[in-house]
Amino acid sequence: MATTVTAVPPRGGPAGASEVVGRPDEHRRRMARLGWMFTTPALLFIGIVTLFPIGFSVLLSFEHVNVTGNGFQLQGLTTANYSLVLGASIWQYALVFTLYYTVVTVIVELIIGTLIALVLERMVAGRGWMMAMLLVPWSLVTVISAKLWAYIYDPTFGIADSILHALGLGNPVILGGNTSAIIAMMVADIWKTVPFVTIIVLAGLVMLPQDIYEAAEVDGASGWTTFWRITFPLLRPTIALAVLFRVLQAFGLFDLPFVLTQGGPGHQTTSLAVLGYDVMFNNLNFGPGAAIATTTAVIVVLGCLLFLKVFRSQAAEEGM
Amino acid sequence: MRRRKRQGWHRYVNLVTIGATLTVLFVLLPLYWMISSSLKGPSDIGSASALPQHVSGINYSSAFVHSGFGHYIVNSVIVAVCTTALVLALGTMAGYALGRLPMRAKLPTMVVLLMISVFPAIAVIAPLFLLMKTIGWLNSYQALIVPYTAFNLPFAVWILRNYMLGIPREMEETARIDGAGPFTTLWRIIIPQARPGLFTAGIFTFTACWTEFLMALSFNSDNSYRTIPVGIALFGSQFTIPYGTIFAASTAAAVPIAILVLVFRRSVVSGLTAGAVKG
Repeated sequence: MATTVTAVPPRGGPAGASEVVGRPDEHRRRMARLGWMFTTPALLFIGIVTLFPIGFSVLLSFEHVNVTGNGFQLQGLTTANYSLVLGASIWQYALVFTLYYTVVTVIVELIIGTLIALVLERMVAGRGWMMAMLLVPWSLVTVISAKLWAYIYDPTFGIADSILHALGLGNPVILGGNTSAIIAMMVADIWKTVPFVTIIVLAGLVMLPQDIYEAAEVDGASGWTTFWRITFPLLRPTIALAVLFRVLQAFGLFDLPFVLTQGGPGHQTTSLAVLGYDVMFNNLNFGPGAAIATTTAVIVVLGCLLFLKVFRSQAAEEGM
Repeated sequence: MRRRKRQGWHRYVNLVTIGATLTVLFVLLPLYWMISSSLKGPSDIGSASALPQHVSGINYSSAFVHSGFGHYIVNSVIVAVCTTALVLALGTMAGYALGRLPMRAKLPTMVVLLMISVFPAIAVIAPLFLLMKTIGWLNSYQALIVPYTAFNLPFAVWILRNYMLGIPREMEETARIDGAGPFTTLWRIIIPQARPGLFTAGIFTFTACWTEFLMALSFNSDNSYRTIPVGIALFGSQFTIPYGTIFAASTAAAVPIAILVLVFRRSVVSGLTAGAVKG
């Protein structure tokens, strides 16, 4: 363009519209000040309640903490909390269990969630109703779903027990067996979170360009080929997002084992969060508790960074 | 293949209808089981019958008249409403500034917010508990409202900023030339335009407060300040779990939030997929 109509009056120019509006750079400065004025309350709130405690938590993890009647005392720096925690077999088990649980549930949820999304995407009528229905488990309080599944698994009057008995599998105490308790907890988790995965994947599916599918059909590609060659690669950013959300949530696993199994039988379903809570609030060991919390947070942040790095480089490779 | 017309019985019995039916059963059967059990009398609760033999409201009266579940619901409502109001007020101002005002360091601010929303709650429980113990906040409404606000603000700011970015700049310019101050502009021009974002941020915050357990259990375990999740989790003793009463309370707690989510389902879905759309 040769000539551009500029709405910005020249600097220090004659009075006109600029007097009403103010000089552009000064206006900009004023607006920036206003911006910080508007942002500060939110940032202060977040800083005081999250950043400061995170720092404090790291400090606690290196202290002897003594909880007293109406407060607490810090009694000197130490690395004893970490050597105690990292050396404890119960912490090592909780770490392995949390990782294992996260990987298995997220993979299963992803497979079931994607299958359901593919079905819903092909539905001619009633998709809106299905979406609405899927939101109900999402909105359910996890403690409530845990109580519901505890009732379903109950050895005396649970429906799962009746079904297993009818199938000729005897009367196992589902939440009492080492493996069966873990599987039972995974089933309860999958029931509640598959809808979340389905909704995200379905939203991704609906946005895919239709002409590619028409081209694939003309070329005679089978449904299977179409899925792996077209749908899945195009959906990868959506799936990556669902995985990230779910991994973060699953890694903080607390409500379900606390209510359903109390971390048992033994310590079979003791996640890192359950262990941290137990150490802090049942044993009042805030130093080791903070060490558990800090190591968990470090693992989460490192995992996130790794995930973003892998995801970014993969996306870059494909020119996305 | 995707839009193939089906003929004969294949129109009704195909992978899609079978898959959809299985999905409906998978989602609804456990919920049905909860509601039907809440209506079963004490003689029925142990039976595996699909329908309550004698429909009875005894569990509901036991939950609300004898066990004070109504009080837990009131606590949850107070905490969730106050938190949602605070989050929307602070989030709108911050989202507006970060979306539309010429500030430096906007991107680092947004990234820090994102990092904070990723942090597991267990990481801040110990220091917050000790702080609240020291200032005497344990077992109070603010013990939950303050941390819930802080933990829900990052997502609200992100969502609101994204909506603010889409509002045409001319509207603001016109308001400015007409002599409207920044607060008037925000209230009259920006907020009406960003209403879908407010709904999304609001419903997510409310649901998060309604369902949160770890902090509520750690900070407000006293009976008079328990929220619904804590009340339900700690109800009963080690030896008897009164499932009928629990499910009556659970149904009463689940229905309002389910209705809210269904009414605002567009906002919920857009919030769930916000990241997916933005890439």
